[in-house]
Amino acid sequence: MKTLTIAAKDLKHIFQSGFSLVMMFGAPLLITGLLAFAFGGRTSGTDTFNLPVTRVQVVNLDQPAGADPGFAAGKLLVAVLQDPSLSDLLAVTLAADEASARTAVDEQRAGVAIIIPPDFTAAATSPDRGAAVVIYRDPTLTIGPGIVTDLVRHVIDGFSGAKIAGQVTAEGLSAAGAEADQALKDNIIRAYTAWLQSDEHGAEGAAVPRLAVVAPTGAAQPKSQGAAPIGPIMAGMLVFFVFFMGGNGAESIIREAEQGTLARLSSTPTPLAAMLGGKFIGVMVSLGLQVAVLLLASILLFGIQWGQAATVMLVSLGLIVASAGFGVMLMSLITSSRQTGPVLGGVMTLTGMLGGLFTTTIPNIPAGFDRVALLTPQGWALQGWKLALSGAGVGETLVPVVVMLVMGSAFLAVGVALFRRRFA
Amino acid sequence: MPDGVAIRAQDLQKQFRAVSAVRGVSFEVRAGEIFSLLGPNGAGKSTTIAMLSCLLQPTQGDASVCGHSIRQSPQRVKACLGVVPQDIALYLDLSARENLEFWGKMYGLRGATLRQRVAEVLAIIGLTERQKDKVGTFSGGMQRRVNIGAALLHRPDVIIMDEPTVGIDPQSRRHILDNVKELNRQGMTVLYTTHYMEEAQELSHQIAIMDQGKIIVCGTHAELIRLVGERTRLDLTLHSEDDALVACWRSIAGVHSLSADHGRLTLLVDDSNLVLPRLFETAAQVGVRITSVTIEEPNLEAVFLHLTGKALRDAL
Repeated sequence: MKTLTIAAKDLKHIFQSGFSLVMMFGAPLLITGLLAFAFGGRTSGTDTFNLPVTRVQVVNLDQPAGADPGFAAGKLLVAVLQDPSLSDLLAVTLAADEASARTAVDEQRAGVAIIIPPDFTAAATSPDRGAAVVIYRDPTLTIGPGIVTDLVRHVIDGFSGAKIAGQVTAEGLSAAGAEADQALKDNIIRAYTAWLQSDEHGAEGAAVPRLAVVAPTGAAQPKSQGAAPIGPIMAGMLVFFVFFMGGNGAESIIREAEQGTLARLSSTPTPLAAMLGGKFIGVMVSLGLQVAVLLLASILLFGIQWGQAATVMLVSLGLIVASAGFGVMLMSLITSSRQTGPVLGGVMTLTGMLGGLFTTTIPNIPAGFDRVALLTPQGWALQGWKLALSGAGVGETLVPVVVMLVMGSAFLAVGVALFRRRFA
Repeated sequence: MPDGVAIRAQDLQKQFRAVSAVRGVSFEVRAGEIFSLLGPNGAGKSTTIAMLSCLLQPTQGDASVCGHSIRQSPQRVKACLGVVPQDIALYLDLSARENLEFWGKMYGLRGATLRQRVAEVLAIIGLTERQKDKVGTFSGGMQRRVNIGAALLHRPDVIIMDEPTVGIDPQSRRHILDNVKELNRQGMTVLYTTHYMEEAQELSHQIAIMDQGKIIVCGTHAELIRLVGERTRLDLTLHSEDDALVACWRSIAGVHSLSADHGRLTLLVDDSNLVLPRLFETAAQVGVRITSVTIEEPNLEAVFLHLTGKALRDAL
C-alpha cells in the first residue's frame, strides 16, 4: 500500500510539471510533425500524398513534311504531355514562340519550357537526320523537370527505336542480297510510330511484352500512403522520449535525497524496497501513459497504422520496462541532480543516435550501423516498432521484446543494487 | 515504556572515515520529559539523533527507543518515533493537506483515522485555513510548522526535533516552542536539539551540553547553573584588543574565566560590582577604550564557557 502511495505521489509530481508534459507528449509529436513535413511526409489528415503540379510551356515549331503528311512527331509529343492521366503532375500550355516560353520560365510562371524544333518530324522519320528538343527548366525545381525530361525522352526513344528498326531491316535485306527501298523504310517507321500513338503498347492482350503494375489487395493493404514514411519517424521519437522520461522519472530518487524527503521516508516504518518499488511503479505507469497517449495521438494526427494490437501491446511493454530500467540505472550512477541534465541529455542522445532513432528516414543504412544499433536498448525498441509497423505478428516481435525485457530487468537490478548501497 | 525510560543511549559512537562525529555518547530520557541536546554546530547533535532515528548505523554502542534497540528492531523504533528533520523535508509542489496525508500514510494511517488526524494536526500547527495551498508558497515559518506536523500524525510516543527553529521569524518560533510545550503536556516525550541556549532553558526538563562529539555535562537547568555557582557573565567590547590587558584581566581576583575573540571578551566573575571598576581602571592604564559592557546573570552560556573555555556563540 505504501508503495502505491509513493507511486501516486510521484505520478502527481510528474503530471504537474510543465517540463514533463512537454517532454512526454509535446516534443515527440511536434518533432515528428516537423520531420515529416521536412521529408515530404504527411502534414495533415488527408489520405493521399501529392506532388506539386509543374507548369509546362510547349513551343511546337515542328513542320511535318514527307512521305506521310498525316504524321506529326511534334504534335504527338504535345499529345503525350497533355494526356489527361498526367493532369495531376503537369499543366501544359502552348506558347507562341520560344522567347515567350523562356521568359515564362525566367519569371517562374512556368517550371519548364519545351521547344520542339521545326524539323522534328523529319528527324523522327528520316534515318539520316537529327534534331534536338530543348528543355529549358527552372533551376530551383527538381522533381517536375525530371518528370518532363523522362516523358520527352520516352517519346524520342520511341522514334529512335523506329529508325533503328528500319535501319536493321535495310541492313538485313542488304546482307541477303536484296535492296531495301525508301518506301519500305518509311513503312517500317510509320508502323512503329502508329503503334506508339495507339494505346496498344500498353493494352492487355497486345502481342508485345507488356508491363503490368498492380497493387496488393485485401485487408493487409495499408490504408494510407502517407503512413509509411512517418511511422518510423514517430517510432524513433517515441522511443527517444520514452527513454528520456524513464531517466527523468527515476531522477526523483536523487532529487528526494537532496531535498531530505528520502531521509524522512527512511525515518518512517517504510522499508527501502517499498520506497524504491514505489518509485519504479511511478515511472512505469507514467511511461505507460506516455506510450498510450503518443500512440493514440499519432494515429489521430498522422494516421499511423501501428500494426496488430497484440504486437503493439507487447512492444510497448518491452519499451516501458527497458526505458524504466535504463533510467533507474543511469540515475543510480550520478550523485547530484545538477548532473542530471548533462548526463540524461548526453547519454540518451548518444545511445539514441547509436540506436538509430534519428536516422529512420535515411534509406540504405549500412549493415554495420544496424549491428551497432542492437548494442543499445533503443536499437531493439526501434526494431520492435518497425516490425509492428510492418504488420508483424506477436511471434515475429518476440526476439526484440524479450531482449528489451531482459535488458530492462538487468538495468533495474544494477540500479536498485547501487541505490540500496547508497541509501541503506 | 520499560522502567519509564523513553530513550537510553549507551556509548554511541559514529566515525566518518577519519572524523569522529560522535565519541561515546550516553544519556537517558525519561518518558514525558523534554530533553535538550545543546551545543554549537558540529558538536554531534544531528549525528546522535540520526542514529536514534535509525537513519545512521552507529559505529559502536547501541540505544533503545521505547524499549526497542535501534540495531535490532529499527522498524519498531521508527513506528514509535516522530522525527522532525533540521531542514524542510516536504513536497513543495503538494499542498499542506496532501503532504500530511502522504506522511500519515507512511506511518500506516488510513481512511477516517488519517482524515481526522490530518485535521487535528492542521489545527495544532495553525494552518487549517491554508491547508489547500502548496507548501512551496508558504513562508519559512509556516513550512517549519508543516515540517513538525508531519511528525505528529501517528501520535508518536517520542518526538525528535532537530533544531526546528533555525532561520525563522520570532512569531513562528514562538508558535513552535508553544507547540512543543503543549505536546509535552499531552504526554509526549521530546528530544530537542538546539544551539539556542534560551530555547533549551525555556523548554527542557533536562539538558545535555555537547561539544566535539561528547556530552560534557547533563542535568536539569538548575543543576547546570550550579556548576558555575552565582557567577555573572560580562560581555565587553574593546576598541582594540590588547594581549597584555587580557593577561592582566585574567589575574584579577574574582575573574574565573575569560575568552577573547577579536576585541569581544566574555568573562565569568564572582561579583560584577567589584570586578568592573578594576577592569576599567586597568584598561585606562594601558590606554584601551571599552566600548560596550553587558552584564548577564548566570545561564547556560556561562556553563558552556565554564566547561569549554569558549563562549557558545563563538563556537557556532
